[in-house]
Parts: sequence; structure tokens; C-alpha cells
Amino acid sequence: MLKVENLTKTFPNGTKALKNVSFEVADGEFLAVIGLSGSGKSTLLRCINRLIEPTSGKVYWNGVDVTAAQGTDIRKIRRQIGMIFQPFHLVKRSSVYTNVLSGRLGYVNTFSSLIHMFSSDDRSRAIASLERVGLVEKAHVRADSLSGGQQQRVGIARALMQEPKLILADEPVASLDPVLAHSILKYLEQLNKELGITILCSLHFLDLVHRYATRAIALKDGMLVFEGLPKEIDDAQFKAIYGQEAERVSIT
Amino acid sequence: MNGALTTPNKAPLATLMSLIIPGSGQFMLGHRGRGLVIFLSTTIIAFLVNWALVNLKIGQITIGGLITSWLWLSFILLWGWNVLDAQRAAAGKPASLLSAVACAAVILYVIAWNVTGVKLERLVTRFSDARIVMRQLANPELALTNINGADKTCSWSCLFAYWGDRLAGRQPANPVMVSSDVLDIFGKIEKKAARGWQVNLGLAQKGEKVNTFIAGKMVETIAIGLMATLFSTILALPVSFLAAHNIMSRVRGGTALYYILRTILNVVRAVDTVVWGLLVIVWVGLGSFAGVIALTIHSVAALAKLFSEEIEHIDPGPVEALTASGANLLQTIRYAVIPQITPSFLAYTLLRWDINMRSATVVGFVAGGGIGFFVVETIRAGGYQQYATALWAVAVVIILVDLISARWRERILTDQPVKEAPKHPTLNLLRKTVYIILGVALFIYCWNVTEIRLKELFQPAPTFLRLVSDFVHIDLSKAVLNAVIQQMLVTVFQAMLATTLGGLVALPFSFLAAKNLTGKSRTLRVIYFATRAVFNVLRSIEALLYVAIFIFWVGIGPFAGMLALAITTFALIGKLFSEAIENIESGPIEALTATGGDALQVINYAVLPQIVPPFVSYLIYQWDINIRMATIIGFAGGGGIGLTLSTFFGSLQYHKAGTVVAFIVIVVALMDFTSAKLRENLV
Repeated sequence: MLKVENLTKTFPNGTKALKNVSFEVADGEFLAVIGLSGSGKSTLLRCINRLIEPTSGKVYWNGVDVTAAQGTDIRKIRRQIGMIFQPFHLVKRSSVYTNVLSGRLGYVNTFSSLIHMFSSDDRSRAIASLERVGLVEKAHVRADSLSGGQQQRVGIARALMQEPKLILADEPVASLDPVLAHSILKYLEQLNKELGITILCSLHFLDLVHRYATRAIALKDGMLVFEGLPKEIDDAQFKAIYGQEAERVSIT
Repeated sequence: MNGALTTPNKAPLATLMSLIIPGSGQFMLGHRGRGLVIFLSTTIIAFLVNWALVNLKIGQITIGGLITSWLWLSFILLWGWNVLDAQRAAAGKPASLLSAVACAAVILYVIAWNVTGVKLERLVTRFSDARIVMRQLANPELALTNINGADKTCSWSCLFAYWGDRLAGRQPANPVMVSSDVLDIFGKIEKKAARGWQVNLGLAQKGEKVNTFIAGKMVETIAIGLMATLFSTILALPVSFLAAHNIMSRVRGGTALYYILRTILNVVRAVDTVVWGLLVIVWVGLGSFAGVIALTIHSVAALAKLFSEEIEHIDPGPVEALTASGANLLQTIRYAVIPQITPSFLAYTLLRWDINMRSATVVGFVAGGGIGFFVVETIRAGGYQQYATALWAVAVVIILVDLISARWRERILTDQPVKEAPKHPTLNLLRKTVYIILGVALFIYCWNVTEIRLKELFQPAPTFLRLVSDFVHIDLSKAVLNAVIQQMLVTVFQAMLATTLGGLVALPFSFLAAKNLTGKSRTLRVIYFATRAVFNVLRSIEALLYVAIFIFWVGIGPFAGMLALAITTFALIGKLFSEAIENIESGPIEALTATGGDALQVINYAVLPQIVPPFVSYLIYQWDINIRMATIIGFAGGGGIGLTLSTFFGSLQYHKAGTVVAFIVIVVALMDFTSAKLRENLV
């Protein structure tokens, strides 16, 4: 279970990205995080695995205080939490296979990983992860020769290498075509339903939230302004989250 | 702050302030940068006018018993411009820079002209001397022929005759052999006692005389360049990670180490390879090995800087992704950083190889070994024809290196993903194996040719320890400081004049070397290729190698050095200018032609605005390079700080030499910074 308590982040330039955000995520949930660009969604996700150091507040992951962890401990926590990014963040010049394998680095011995030695377990796990996202035949091509949707699937396969119990997905479909967006979210839905991985996913489009999320939270100017079921977001709620001038648009 | 927003009543105050302290009015009005530049330049120019008057009586005039410099008149005009500018700036429209630049230029060029000792008449009166050298340069000792039983060296004519006969199917009239110069430069085969490995491989008996290839001076030079590139790349790799801000900020105490390392790299880079050569020979003695070390030291600093900047500019995404997955710092570097930087690192290494080959041709001037040493010896013996042969050899080799390096770099940087697996994996493996074996063999050969003796690195000569301690306690007495400052100014002005002269001459030629302007007729194509060829040949030879020609022509001194620098400037600037012309966009030209503009109008409004900023930027860049080059031009008799440095080194006055090196570092670093800032504002 993930528990966030009074999380606040003030950047050195004075921007208050998060203000006293508290919520809980039960195991097995698919939680959508919505809000405008700049509302603090990315900062929130990055504070959970401490890619960004929160200014104050606590994050508990299965009872362990993430915010207090240091050095090796934080890396041990991170390896249980997969992350997927909007711009994929693959190493473009490396092969798909190496990109996927690199998701395992948190588990393997530093020395052997430096000379690219991975156990046969890890190697078959990489193939299995690629099979799950349907890209096993692309294993040995360079990552930059794949299309955007395929690259994001490699991103998912890399996260799977960590055998994560939680996946943080930061706008995973924002740089993709609408059609591909569904394909990526379906993969995440599968992981959620079949493997029981908790998903915390920030999304732009409300209809994607309705279609995939089991629950949603909304941020506005760094504050939590909504927490509940996707269907509870009515027009009034919508205006409160996105501002008075916002119009509902849909993605098919 | 916007000038239009300031109220008009600030004008009198600003004017008054600038009248008292130049630039202060502009500063007060919010034009901070402009004010600071005006203040600094007027201060420097005032110092220069006074210095030139007191030390060298430049511009001295006597008015009613008062001895002063007429340059002060120009300085007063500059001051007046500054006051006017402050007044105008208050009104929101600062004065044009042109008149200020003109006033400053008068002062700077008059001083430069005098300290460089320009004697234009010598170019004419001693032209006959120049013709002798030119004739010999055009006719290097390439071949040895035998006419009626007497050996005779010859250059092109006998080669033409020989090959003409051969191609026509006739028996050549006279036999032609390669001249001993060419053999000395490229290498020859001699009978030597068999080496250990030849005996072990059963190729020769112990003590048997076998044909052995004796490496020539050019082969030695190539080996020096290769070894230095290899060593400096290996050493620069770890250093570059320690000097990359995005890596070091993740390590505790890393930021401090980052700043220390960056400073050291900048200091090491500011000292030219040839100056490093002077230091290294005290350490390990004369020879190719000293050359390799000198090149390596400078090259490590230059490469590490480029490498670390490359590391700082990688895509941070993969680093974030791997950090999120729990990878540690070393793993993140291995999987997210190294794959990203490999192509650019290779490209920089190749670029450095090109630069190192050029430096290797001159490091022998002080360090011994390589073609530079050969050139020094031939000049001392007055063998200008041998000198000519060496220059031609350098041109051929450097042009080849330049070509290979550029092609290779282009291929690496295109960096296309390989979509399909190699067709013949075994053949591929075989090819790789062959490359590796060849590489190792080349490495061993170069190691032997350059006489690398690593042990000597750890057994420095006792004088070296004295040098180190003297460099810590440099001589800052007034006499030494005066001499060093004077020569340093000569060096800076020499570089300025060379940049101006080279740039002016290059300007018309650069249009002839631009592809987009010369494609129209056959004659123009020929001119295009000829100009390009001249640029490339002249560019391939270092300024230090040209000095000898001008010493013969105009005599030893800064004037000769300036002319040598002007030659390389001409070639480099010509190339850069012509590329800038090739890069202009045709859109604006088309648009202005469509509005009915005539040719001159089109040039004025569509072409000039596109080429003037890059031209000025290249000139500033070239001045920066020329100052570096001018610091060593004195080693060949070209005057300036190099002469002072070699004198101090020659007489073992290391504490004074240390002062010179310290000044070189300061001036070069300062110029580097200023030129970068100026160019930033231009583009």
C-alpha cells in the first residue's frame, strides 16, 4: 500500500509545486492522476520514488518510510517501483534488449553489470517481458529505429524487469497518437489485472480516465482538489479541476 | 530596463557621470553591459597609449615643451563619443558604435604597427631575397638523377621528363631516383643486424644483416601524433567524467572537485604544446618521447574539456529512468551515459588526431624528434631546398590526415542504426580480428619509433625538480614584469595585425572559393578549385614552419612572425568565410530580386546582413587562435613572448620562465573568455 502524507514541494526558485497533498493507494488499484499541465502531477510521481526530494511530508510504501531512506535503501525501494515516462527515456543508440535488461540493474551485482554480464534468469526474463509487450522479434534492433508506440512498449518491458509491485506512469500516452494511447493503456490494464501491479498514472484526457482507472485524484496548483471514482467527476467537478473556460474533449 | 521608459530628466546626470567616469552614465541608465565594456576599454586604451609613449615613444610629439602623444587626441574623441552615447542612451537611442570603434582602432593599429616593427619597405627592397626562397620552395629536392655520370638533385623537371618518357613508351634518357631528402623524411631501407623477434620467428640468423626499414622524420611525426592521440584519449576519458557537472553534482563533494578540475584543464589548455615541449625536455630529455608527452598533456586537457561538455549535454531522460529503477551511479553511467556519448567521443578523438598531427610537425622545434627537428636543422644549415622538401611532405601528410579525419567523423556522426544483422557473421569477425591485429602491430611499431620509455617519467632529471620549485616561486620583480608585459603586448598586437592582414587578403579570395557563386562557368570552376587548393595547402602547414621564409625576407623579429601568422590566417579565414558564403539562405535574395531590387541592393540588404556577423565572429575567433600561436612564434625567430620564454629557458632561469608561462596562461584564458563572450553577442 502506498500512503502519501502532507507532501509539499517548493523548488529553489520559489515555485510551490505541491501543497500538503495526502492520499492513499490500495494494492491493485489503477489510480489516475489528473490536472492541467503544471498542476504538479509529474512532481508528485517523482516525489514518490524520490527522483525529486520532497520539501516536507511523508511517503510510506508498504509501511516503509520512503522519504527517510538513504543510499542503498532508497535504491532497494526504487527497484520495487517501476516507472514509465512520457518521452519514453530509452537509450536510443542501445538495442531494445539492452534497454530492457537495464531495468534489472537494481538487482544485479555492479561489477558484472558493468561488463554486460547478466544471469540466464535475467536474460530469459527480458525475453519474457518483450513477449508480453509483443516486441520479441525487435529485441536486437536499435531503440531509435522503433516507432513511438513501440518505444513506449519497450519502456513498459523495462519497468517489468524490476518485477514491480507499483508502476508510476508519467503521462505515458501524451506523445502518442490516440489509437496508440489505447494500446499502451491496455497493456497497463493487463499488468494491473493479471499481475496485480498497482498503477499510478497521470493522464490528460478524462475519457481515458473513465475507461481505465478504478479511482482518480485531481491536482490543481499543487493542491489535491478531488479524490473519488472517475464517474463522480461531473461538470462542476470538471470546472473546478480544469478551470471555468475548459471544455470537455474526448479521444477516441 | 527599457531605454524608452527612462524619464528625460536623467539625461544631464548620465552625461555628467560619463564625462567623469566613462561608461558610468550608461551603467546608471541600466545598460550595465555597455557601461562596463566602455569603462574597461577606455581604461585599457588609456593604459596602452601611456605605456606606448613611455616605453617606446610611440606617437610622441612635443607641443610647446610638453612631450605627449598625439594618440591622446583620438582618446579624447573616444571619451567624447562616450559622453554623447550616455546622453543619447538617456533618450532611448544609444549612439552608433562605428565611430567609437574607429577611434579605438586608430590607437590600437598605430601601436600594433610600431611594436610589431612593420617595415613595409623591406617587402619591396628585399624582394630579390624572397624570390630566391620562393624559387627553392617551389623546387624541393625530390629526386636524384644522373646526367653524364654526375649525380644531380632535381625537383619537378626530371620527374616530368622521366614519366613523360615512360608513358610514351620510350626508354627514359636519365635514371631517376628518390632524393636523399625524401628518404630522410619518409624512410629508407638499410642493412641492420637482425632484431630479436626476427631471429625468434626464424626469419634471420642471429647477428645476420637484414634489410630494415629506418623510419624517416615524417614517419616519426605521424607516430608521435598517433601515440599522443591514443594516450590522451585514454587519459581524458576518466578525467572528463570527473569534470562533468551533471555527474559530479550527484557525488558528495563532487562540485568542488568539478571546479578544481575545470580550472586545471583550462590552465593546461592555455599553454601551447610547444611550450609544454620546453618543460618536458627538462623532465625526460630531448627526443620524440618528449614530443609525445608534450602533445599528450595539452591534448588531454583539450579532449577532457570537449568530452565533459558532451557528457553535460546528453539526454537526461535515460539517466532518470535508470535511477528510478534503482540502478546505482556506476550502472547509470554504463547504461545511460556511455551509449549516448560514444559517437561524439570518437568524432572528437578523430578531430584531435588531426590537430595533434599538426602539432607534431612543430613540437620538434623545441623537443627534438619529428619533422620539426629536421626543419630546424636544415634552416640552421641554410638548406632551403631541403626545408622546401619538408614543407611539401608536411602538406601532403596533413592534407591526407585532414581528409581521412573529416570523412570518418562525418560517417560516425551520421550514426545510422543498423537495421539488419550482418550478412556474414564469420567474415565480419575475421575482419575485426584483422583490424585488431593491424592496430596492435601499428601500436608496437609507433611505440618503438617514438622511443617511449615510461620508466623515465618516474626518474626526472634533477633540474626538473628545480624547474618545478622555480615555477612555484616565480620571479615577480619589476624588471622581469616589465619585460614580460612588453613582450606579451607585442604578442597580442602581432596577432591582431596578422588577423587583420590575413582577413583582408582572404576576403576577396573567399568569394572565389564559394561553391554557390562559382558554379556558373568553367573558368570559375577552375578558379574555385585552385583557390580551395591554395587554402588547403597553406592551411596544412603550421605558422611556425613559415617563419623561416619571412626571416630570410624581412629579417628576424615580430614582423616576420606576424607575416607567418598572416599566412595561416589567410588560409583558415578564407576557408571559413567561403563556407559562410556557401551557407547563406537564398530565400531573402529571391524575395528582394522579386521586389525589383538591383544587384547592389540585393547584396546590401540580403547578402551582407547574412555574412557580416559570421565574418566578424570568425575574425575574433581567429585573433584568439593567433594569440595562442603568437606565443610560440618566437621559437623560430618570430619575436614576441616566445623569444623571451626560450631565452629564459635556454639560460636556465626557470623562475623567470615561470613568470612568462603564468602571463601566457592569464592572457590566453582572458582572450578565450572575451572572444567567446563577444561571439555569443554577435550570433
